[in-house]
Amino acid sequence: MGRVKHPGPGFLPFGLALCLIILSLALIFKSWKGNISSTPFWPQRTWLRPLLGVSIFIFYALAIERLGFLLSTFPFLIIWMRLIERVRWRTLIGISIGTTAGLYFIFVFFLEVPLPTGFLK
Amino acid sequence: MNEILGMFQGLANGFSIAFSLTNLTFALIGALLGTIVGILPGLGPAATISLLLPLSFKIGSPVTSIIMMAGIFYGAMYGGSTTSILVNIPGEAASVVTCIDGYQMALKGRAGPALGIAAIGSFIAGTIGIIGLTFVAPPLAEFALKFGPPEYFALTLLGLLMATLLGGSSFVKGLIVVVLGLLLGSVGLDPISGAIRFTWGFFMLQEGVDFVTLAMGMFGIGEILINLEKELTTELVTRKITHLWPTLKDWAESKWAILRGSFIGFFIGILPGGGAVVSSLVSYAVEKKVSKHPEEFGKGAIQGVAGPESANNSAASASFIPLLTLGIPGNASIAMIFAALLIQGVQPGPFLITERPDVFWGVVASMYIGNVMLLVLNLPMVGMWVQLLRVPYAILAPIIVLFCCIGVYSVRNTVFDIWVMGIFGIIGYLFRKVDLEPGPLILAFVLGPILERSLRQALLISAGSPFIFFKRPISGTIMSFLLIFIAFQILARFRWRKRL
Repeated sequence: MGRVKHPGPGFLPFGLALCLIILSLALIFKSWKGNISSTPFWPQRTWLRPLLGVSIFIFYALAIERLGFLLSTFPFLIIWMRLIERVRWRTLIGISIGTTAGLYFIFVFFLEVPLPTGFLK
Repeated sequence: MNEILGMFQGLANGFSIAFSLTNLTFALIGALLGTIVGILPGLGPAATISLLLPLSFKIGSPVTSIIMMAGIFYGAMYGGSTTSILVNIPGEAASVVTCIDGYQMALKGRAGPALGIAAIGSFIAGTIGIIGLTFVAPPLAEFALKFGPPEYFALTLLGLLMATLLGGSSFVKGLIVVVLGLLLGSVGLDPISGAIRFTWGFFMLQEGVDFVTLAMGMFGIGEILINLEKELTTELVTRKITHLWPTLKDWAESKWAILRGSFIGFFIGILPGGGAVVSSLVSYAVEKKVSKHPEEFGKGAIQGVAGPESANNSAASASFIPLLTLGIPGNASIAMIFAALLIQGVQPGPFLITERPDVFWGVVASMYIGNVMLLVLNLPMVGMWVQLLRVPYAILAPIIVLFCCIGVYSVRNTVFDIWVMGIFGIIGYLFRKVDLEPGPLILAFVLGPILERSLRQALLISAGSPFIFFKRPISGTIMSFLLIFIAFQILARFRWRKRL
């Protein structure tokens, strides 16, 4: 950490931690003094759609390494638009194909980024 | 005299760079993307620039990628008003106040003039802002050459405090966000001694938390997750937009509002921590105050559209000044551009204009061109963009998430980064849930290393005496301004509480 005369690597983090403690106490004090509002954190199942989004995201991150870009992106779009939203099947398939192809074109042809191919080597 | 000549010469060189086919194309892409994300609610310029950060590695020269990103930033200021006027939802944050009178105008069948005056005001103010940038930046950069560590420390501190004061709902919460951002920024190698900090044994963290991953998670994924909670319905007032060109009466009523807005925006944009959002709020308040008919505000006063829409554009142009002359970004979007410059190996700061005149003058010149492009895109073609509001968020959201995933993967070719981005996305979502703004976090993360280095160097110079920040004239002025400002804030809050 060093001294004020010769501040070391821990100097600023230590100071910041002190600030954080003071600020947190101030925030706790403020909410303790003020009347506590009783609005629920997630009113009326609003947690459902973000949770679904995160779950699909996790599956996508797991799948992309094993299945490759094409085989994971297409199902990702279909599942997202069907499970979270209620997009009609016709629009959904069209958009999924278009987006997958578009992303593939931008990243592979235009930017020349190697995308994960999975077992399809 | 010589200096002014040098500026014109620089500008001429800049135009020859900006008029190359590649740069014109990317300026147009930036303007188009900016208009689109400005119009679409739930996707701001900061998030969009973060989405494009990974691409900036691939696009090529720093000039080209910064031209595009700058276009997104000021282009969004144009597009934002359209949604405010027609739907009563701000297309992006700097157009919040435009909803008040813009929507009322639309309800009275005056959507056309509202959109028209917003676009024209934006163009005039944007151009005034860039003229200011052209002539203020070079002397300011020369002045900034005198700045040492104490001055930089004072400036970054001022920027961070102003950003929390002006941006957030609660001062304490804003400060907490800033401290968290500074702590995040200190992960990795210590800039002075090279000691490893807060990596918890993860080798990937030795270079610090990756900015691209952090920004895409907090802004891209975080914004999508919070928007999934609410239904974003976009009900248009009218589909037929006529009489875009304002009448002589409209023009007479709004020309001073546009001018006032331009100057307010410019001076707020220059301030560290200031930006487009604040400037539009200030402009609205000023217009209401100087108006002879303040009772018309809220019922469709054209000045209430012209002033704020001008202010946010000139603030957007002016906020490039602290970035390009001091190397200190003032808001989240500019922090993204700062990071993009660093990624490209260009160090923004007082030496930028002399060392990389191509970057400085090329970007400045492209902004003149970009504003003309945006005027054309937003005046005759506005009807086309309005159709964009029909694209439901349901379709947009998964595409943006995918774009984030592939983008962040493409930087280092590891799925590890997708996971880290997802974690930051969840954090960004929770931040928004508890009313913590992610903008100051990004800003603090970027400013953290500058703040730390200058603080420790200054203390080394002064042998531990903190008075060094007050003894030197420039840093002393900034620090005393800071102290007065804080004292004023505390006093204002105290009196406000008494009145309750």
